[in-house]
Amino acid sequence: MTTEAHTAQPEYRWRMPADWWARQRHYFLYVVREFTALPLALWLLWLLVEIKRAGDGPGRYAPHGSMPFVVFSVVVLLFALYHSYTFLSLAGTILHFKVFDRPVPSRLIVLSQFGLWAAASVVVGFALIWFAR
Amino acid sequence: MHLFWWFMFAQGGVIAAVLIPVHVLVQGILGPLGIVPVVDRHYDTWVSMLGNPIVKLYLLVLIAFPFFHFAHRLRYLLVDLGLPAAKGVPAQALFYGGAVGVTLVTIWVLLTTIPISLG
Amino acid sequence: MPDKTITIRATRYDPEKDEKPRLQSYDVPFYDESMVVLDALNHIKSHVDGSLSYRWSCRMGICGSCGMMVNGMPKLTCNAFLRDYWPRPIVVEPLNNFPVIRDLVIDMDDFMHKLKSIKPWIIRKQEIPLGAREHRQTNEQIDDFRQFSECINCMLCYAACPVYGLNSEFLGPAATALARRYNLDSRDQGLKERLPVIGGAEGIWECSFVGECSVVCPKGVDPAKAIQQTKLDTTMRFVLPYGNRD
Repeated sequence: MTTEAHTAQPEYRWRMPADWWARQRHYFLYVVREFTALPLALWLLWLLVEIKRAGDGPGRYAPHGSMPFVVFSVVVLLFALYHSYTFLSLAGTILHFKVFDRPVPSRLIVLSQFGLWAAASVVVGFALIWFAR
Repeated sequence: MHLFWWFMFAQGGVIAAVLIPVHVLVQGILGPLGIVPVVDRHYDTWVSMLGNPIVKLYLLVLIAFPFFHFAHRLRYLLVDLGLPAAKGVPAQALFYGGAVGVTLVTIWVLLTTIPISLG
Repeated sequence: MPDKTITIRATRYDPEKDEKPRLQSYDVPFYDESMVVLDALNHIKSHVDGSLSYRWSCRMGICGSCGMMVNGMPKLTCNAFLRDYWPRPIVVEPLNNFPVIRDLVIDMDDFMHKLKSIKPWIIRKQEIPLGAREHRQTNEQIDDFRQFSECINCMLCYAACPVYGLNSEFLGPAATALARRYNLDSRDQGLKERLPVIGGAEGIWECSFVGECSVVCPKGVDPAKAIQQTKLDTTMRFVLPYGNRD
């Protein structure tokens, strides 16, 4: 590769358009994937407030349950599911190990990740409902 | 240092992926709509659950770890959307410092709100 | 049979005359279902306008020189069939994220420097004299890195990578995948020489796993996987007590 030949000549410099992420579907889905962090963070802060409110005492304690809050939670849930789906699927690309000197197929890793998610959801969901009685 | 923050990002991502949806579904939707009884709907059940040290530890993991994931993602997202300053050390201090801050606040809330009880 | 044509809108840019690249339309006869975009470009060059500049060589997906943006997607033009686009026009542009020298020709110097910086050859602490003995390798050991050795340096992954588009200092997909190819090779002992570049300020940590590099790769190399696995391994070397070996 000769550099001398053309470095003297002007070149047309590439500049990334500011809306690059809106121009292609994959890029857009990627930005949505990264953006899930914001709604999830807000919801966890709400949970922290809900814990703090338990300190209000038996008389004044009133759990959050307005309709706007439920709508907010529905939106957050959609983002949360998208995060779980993308993150656990991509984990199959990242995690790699060998059992008996043979690499574990990434499909199996992804499957075990989703299995873990399902199991944890059942256990946590059960605890949240069971101990409410 | 990159390595450490990436490690925390990955950890937090797993915690968020595995645990958050069920909390949002049960505590954010099913509980408020009255479809099922949920612990935080009643003072007594919520307090007795929050007194349990294992629950406190679980809540710390659930709330604090994902914030390292969020901090990392949002910082990179800002870079992607055309803010190269989000790469710099001040931005790192702001975002990761924020995650450390949330961790400390969570510890404080968990320790001061309801005393630990094994009952 | 009536003569079928297809419209090719190709980037023209003459650095001495043009302020910036523009698109020019050409109607090209489409007489054979097996025609590819590169055939159409060759037709333009031979029969319409001999000044159209572009790179190509093998026309069979081996040499990696004919990569261009085809309707906004990085493609090897020898592997982009006209029948998949006809009757709509096809926009052919130089690869995104690189400086343009002329028409469809990009400046690949930056990539060449990056390729060299990760030392893509087998490094031994102590070279064995030629003829003393061979470095033997099992099929399983070859399987460890084989996928990453399929890279043909076509740079489609760089054109697909928004991180590289935003910051041209980023080491990028193909170079990291090739670094991993040698780091995983049982004959190689050069990991420590490559780590400063791979794990440096413009190395793997810049990647935010958009994953488009692996989507556009014509050889199934999966550079995104190479980068994420390198992140994981680098982290594990640090976390595990026995990890900090060669």
